[in-house]
Amino acid sequence: MRDVPGFSRRSVLAGGLAAPLAVPALITGARANETFVLGTWGGDYQRLQLENIELPLVRPLGLEAVADTGDEPPRVAKIMATRRLPRGPLDVACLQAVQAYALGEAGVLEELTPEKVPNLAHVKEGLATATFAPHIWSPQIISYSPERVTSPPTGFGDLADPRYNGKVGFPDGNFFYVMMAAGLFAGGSANDFDKAKEVMTKVNANGLRLYPSTDAGGPPFKTGEIDIGMMWLARISMWQNAGIPVAAAFPKEGCILYVSGMVVPKNAPNKEAAFKYINAMLDPAAQLGFAKNMGYLPTVTNAPLTGKVAEQLALPTPPPKLVVPDFAFTSKIQPEIADWWKKSIQHG
Amino acid sequence: MEEEHSTRLMKPSPAIVFLGPATCVVMLFLVAPLVLLARYSLNRYDPTELMIEAVTPANYLRFFTEAFYWEVMRTTIMVAVLVTCLSLVLGLPIAYRLARTTSRWKSVMMLMIVLPLFIGSTVRTVGWMILFAQSGVMDSLAVRLFGLRIDLMYTPAAVVIGTLSVILPFMVLTLQSVFEGIDARLEEAAQGLGAAPGRAFWRIVWPLALPGIGIAAILSFILGMNAYATPVLLGGPRFQMMAPLLFWEFNTNSNWPFSAALAFILMATTLLLTTLTNVVIPRRYRA
Repeated sequence: MRDVPGFSRRSVLAGGLAAPLAVPALITGARANETFVLGTWGGDYQRLQLENIELPLVRPLGLEAVADTGDEPPRVAKIMATRRLPRGPLDVACLQAVQAYALGEAGVLEELTPEKVPNLAHVKEGLATATFAPHIWSPQIISYSPERVTSPPTGFGDLADPRYNGKVGFPDGNFFYVMMAAGLFAGGSANDFDKAKEVMTKVNANGLRLYPSTDAGGPPFKTGEIDIGMMWLARISMWQNAGIPVAAAFPKEGCILYVSGMVVPKNAPNKEAAFKYINAMLDPAAQLGFAKNMGYLPTVTNAPLTGKVAEQLALPTPPPKLVVPDFAFTSKIQPEIADWWKKSIQHG
Repeated sequence: MEEEHSTRLMKPSPAIVFLGPATCVVMLFLVAPLVLLARYSLNRYDPTELMIEAVTPANYLRFFTEAFYWEVMRTTIMVAVLVTCLSLVLGLPIAYRLARTTSRWKSVMMLMIVLPLFIGSTVRTVGWMILFAQSGVMDSLAVRLFGLRIDLMYTPAAVVIGTLSVILPFMVLTLQSVFEGIDARLEEAAQGLGAAPGRAFWRIVWPLALPGIGIAAILSFILGMNAYATPVLLGGPRFQMMAPLLFWEFNTNSNWPFSAALAFILMATTLLLTTLTNVVIPRRYRA
C-alpha cells in the first residue's frame, strides 16, 4: 500500500486519538459570550457605545451586551415597575444624572464603589453619586449665529434682548436645564426658580421659538429662523461638523452641566457583567472615543484631550464657572417646573 | 329524543366557536390593559416613588378644575371636527367617482389612495416638515413666485393639513365601499324619471349612504382626536392637543396616574361625542 504524501499511518492514528481530546478546547473557543442587558438610547450614542466600549473592551472579557434601545422614560418606568421582582429586565441603564439621582433616592439602584468598578477612582469630582457612574458631560452654553450676531452674547439675559425678537429658540426638551441657567443668571443660583420664572417669561415674550427635538434646534441657525439660543457645547460641535454655522458663547454667570451616565438596578440579573461594562465605559480610550465622535467631555481625569478635539471642546480662559445641578433639589422640583413650563411658556 | 336534546345543549354553538378566540384576544390585549390603566388613574403620584397605590379622584379633579386642560381638550375637539369635515368634503366626491367609474384604471386609482397607508404617518409627517419649513419647498417657491414668505411650520394650519393627509385615505376607502354598495340603477331610475344628477344624488344616494358616511366620519373623528405624531412634529411644543399632553406627563414627569386619567378622559370624550352622532343622524338613516 502506498502512503498518501504527508500522511503516514502513524500520524493518522495519532490524529485520531488526539481528536477527542481537542473537542473540549474547540467547544471552549466557540462558546457564546455571556450576555447582559444594556438599556440605552439609540442612534449615534448606541453605535458609539458598541464601537468604543463593547467591541474593544467588553467582548475580550467574554461579555456581550444585548441592547434594550429606547427613550429614558420607559427605561425608568421599567426599573420602577419591576423593582419588587427578584430579577429585573436591565443590568445596566443609561440615564441622565437628574433622573438617576431620583431613582437612587427611591432605593432601587445598586451602590457603585471603586471596589466594584475600579475606574470610578478616576471620575471627576462632583459628577458621580453613590449609585451613578457619569459617562459624558457637556456645559450648556449660548448658541448663536456668527454670521448675524456681530458681538457674541455674554449671558442668559441676551435671550431677552429686543434685538433678537423672534430670533430666539432652543429645543423644548432642554427646558429644565434652561430654567436652571435662567436661575443662575437672575438669582445667582441654579436652584432659584422664582427668579428663573421671571426672566424666562421675558424671554418667552421676546418671541421664543421652541423645537420638538434636539436635532430640530440646529437647522434654524442655517435658515436664519433664529440667531440665538441655548445648547450643550457637545451638540454645537456636532452641528459645526455638519456644516451648520453656529458658535458657542460661555455665559459669564456660569454654565449648567449636562451629565449622563449609567446605573445598575438592585435586581439586575448579571451585576458582575454590569460592573465590568461600566468600568470599561470609564476607560480613557472609550472616553476619548466619545469626545472625538460626539463632542462630549470625558468624565475621568486620566483621559486628557489632544489635537483638534481639544481645540474644539476647549473651555475658555479664564475657565468658566461650571455648575453641577443640585440633584437632590432638582429631582424633587422638576415636576413642578415642568407643569409651570407647560402652562406658562409652551402655552403662554 | 331526550339524549339528542342534551347533546345539542352541550355542543357549543358555531357562533361561540367563531367568536371565542377573538373575544379572548380582545379581553387579553385590550380590556385587561384598560382595567390596569383605570386602576393606575386612581393612584397618587410622587416625584420620588413615582406611583403610590391609592384610590383617589385627584387626577380626574385636576383635569376638570384647571382651565388649561379644558383649553387643550377644546383645541383637540376643534382639530378633530375640522379635519373630519374637510376630509368629508374632499373625500366624498373622490369616493363617489371611484365607486361609479368603470375605467380600466380603477385599480390604479384605488392603489393611489391606498399607497399613502404603506408609509407610516410619522414618515409622511417628515415629508410635510420639509415642505413647510422656513426655506423649505413651499417657502422657497412662494419667495420665488410671489416674493412672499410662507412660514407654515409649527402652526395650527400645518397640523390640520398634516392630520387631514393621514385621515383622508381612510375616509375615501370607507366611503368608496359605501357607494359601491348602493345600486347605481337606483340613480339611473331617478334620472330616468326626470331628476337631475344632483337631485338624484341628494334624494336617492345621500340618504342611503348616510349611515356609512356617519361611520366614516366617526372613524375620522376618532383618528383626529387621538392624533399624536402630526401635532408634535408639525405643531411643535406650543400647539397642545390631548395625546401629546398625555405623553408629556408620562415622558417628562413619569406621572403615570395623571397620564392614565388623561387617557380615560380622552377616551370618554371621544366616545361621548361619537355617540352624539346618533342624535344628529335621524333614526331612519342610522346603520
